[in-house]
Amino acid sequence: MNNIIEVKNLEKKYKELTAIDNLSFEVHEGEILGLLGPNGSGKSTTMNCILSLLNFSKGSIRIFGKEMKPDAYDIKAKIGVVFQDIAVFEELTVYENIDYFCGLYIRDKETRKKYVEDAIELVGLEDFKKFYPKKLSGGLLRRLNIACGIAHKPKLIFLDEPTVAVDPQSRNNILDGIKKLRDNGATIVYTTHYMEEVEILCDRVIILDKGKILATGTTDELKELAKIEEKVTLEVHNFDNENIEKIKKLTNVDEVTFNGSSLVVTYKKGKHNLIDMIDYLKKEGIQYNKIYSERPTLNDVFLELTGKELRD
Amino acid sequence: MTAFKTFFKILNKNKFIVIMYTVILIAFGGFNMQTSDSSINFTASKPDILVVNNDEEKGITKDLIDYIKGNSEAVNIADNEEARNDALFYREVHYIVYIPENYNEDFLNGKNVNLEIKTCDTAESSFAEMLVSRYIRTANSYREIYKDENGKISKENEEKLISKINDTLSKNTEVEITSKLDTNSLSKATFYYNFVNYSILAALVYVVSLILSSFRNKKIQRRINVSSTTYRKINRELLMANIMFSLWLWGIYVLLSFVLIGKIMFTIQGALYIINSFIFTMCAATIALLIGSIVSNKNAINGIVNVIALGSSFLCGAFVPMQWLPDTVLKIAHILPSFYYISTNEKIATLENIDVSSLKEIIPNMAVMVCFAIIFVILSNTVSRKKRRED
Repeated sequence: MNNIIEVKNLEKKYKELTAIDNLSFEVHEGEILGLLGPNGSGKSTTMNCILSLLNFSKGSIRIFGKEMKPDAYDIKAKIGVVFQDIAVFEELTVYENIDYFCGLYIRDKETRKKYVEDAIELVGLEDFKKFYPKKLSGGLLRRLNIACGIAHKPKLIFLDEPTVAVDPQSRNNILDGIKKLRDNGATIVYTTHYMEEVEILCDRVIILDKGKILATGTTDELKELAKIEEKVTLEVHNFDNENIEKIKKLTNVDEVTFNGSSLVVTYKKGKHNLIDMIDYLKKEGIQYNKIYSERPTLNDVFLELTGKELRD
Repeated sequence: MTAFKTFFKILNKNKFIVIMYTVILIAFGGFNMQTSDSSINFTASKPDILVVNNDEEKGITKDLIDYIKGNSEAVNIADNEEARNDALFYREVHYIVYIPENYNEDFLNGKNVNLEIKTCDTAESSFAEMLVSRYIRTANSYREIYKDENGKISKENEEKLISKINDTLSKNTEVEITSKLDTNSLSKATFYYNFVNYSILAALVYVVSLILSSFRNKKIQRRINVSSTTYRKINRELLMANIMFSLWLWGIYVLLSFVLIGKIMFTIQGALYIINSFIFTMCAATIALLIGSIVSNKNAINGIVNVIALGSSFLCGAFVPMQWLPDTVLKIAHILPSFYYISTNEKIATLENIDVSSLKEIIPNMAVMVCFAIIFVILSNTVSRKKRRED
């Protein structure tokens, strides 16, 4: 498999604070790699080091087989970046903004015109071409931000939390767009702290915390790291300790927690856990509002690895 | 040329500001053309003098009264001291001369008799004093000539003395102004080009700073930094666009001066006004460059430019003629490029002949403006570099 990015022993220090601690990983051609971690875990710093926007203390970064440096304009020409902060000109329309940023890479007017139209179509801003950023909603603004970063059809795309504070419709649009970019042959590095997006989108995931890699793999591989196999949640108002103790003794049950309104039962392994639980509740005559079963999430993996939740 | 074109696209969105300041210039310039039909013609004016005579109206006393009446405006005031004091207070009269008893006799007998005076210390009263002093000095001079060995004036010499005094005082001097300068047109041109100081600073500095601050926005800058276009190329394009816009705006203002002022703009003085305004425009463009590098908050730019444009226009005499400004203000104004621009305009208006020596009066001012421009460019480069390093 062809490596588009090779990061080796990357270290970034801010005086005493180590923001990135001996990070090594590769990004394969055509994949979407998710950098997952809570705020302050080093995702954006890693991305900025790769893009030569930040100096780093140790290590090496190679992109497309060449060493990445601030003046490596041949490499930069093949990269598209969508930053977390919206960076557009307030005085320019949607079309003019995309055209300007595309123009930083594409000199030919005709090609650029086509690329700008493609980008507008990709993010679904056809009806807003002549709108000024001030007139756009938060979600549309995010789409514009993405279009500005990817209009020049780069081979490698960095997306830094592109869906922060976005409405569900825009989020779906953005995620669909990213999939299309991958399908068109782009390699994507996607940083986020939304585990659901990573599960939907990413071929491989790197979980980061405090500048270190905690785990790498596909979402399924990572979920294997979680000790639990299944989680059953029960919405119930009154549940006494006696019943909790009884549930703990049921087959495969690992842990039982009750927070006053919902009871969460985790299972290490086994089949028909949900059916067994429903049978028990019927037998004991316990009334409940809702009951559902879940597979372990990346949050559970993160919890398992760090003892804290992703969004803490 | 992406940045270059984008500069003008953003400029197009801010064209209202440029139009607004141009309209202000036309309005004030045009208004001045209508009102400042100034003046190389002088008309002698007469002060209001009241004479209170306590002597007999004969001889030198009568002659003094006739002289004063002939050279002043007649004033009717009630014949009591309170009314005179009120008239002086309300400026109905500016100067009161009290001729004492036996003035004529004492004068002819060689005594030095003082006239009692009341004045309200106005410019007009000073003029009145000049008139009265002139008579007394002339009379004293002729008395020295016609007096006998006892220091007295004989009866037959009295008439001669009065006649000599009147002869001397009736002589007028013709004043002819030989200057070939069209002072009226030059004063219009000076006013217009002084006002250009405000319009250039307000329109050019504001719009350019606004555009540059958009490009210098940290987030936009980061996008440019990750792109395959070099920072130097973007800067070069922005500088070119800035110069182009400055030249365009300057061209419009020069063109307007031809329309509003007319003939004088085709003279060498006109050419000097144009050259001076060109240097100032380039200097203003570098001020814009500096503000655009320092300030990223667009609301702050508005305030800063107002302070710079209005402040330097008031301090340096763009709105109020320099000669009316206090010395302290003019001393402070020396630190501003506008001072050298406006000083040069004022000097151009007084240049009788254009030769090397007269140019020596204005070239140093132009050189100072160029130095200011160089300093602003160095400062803006230093600030931009420092900001980039911090980012």
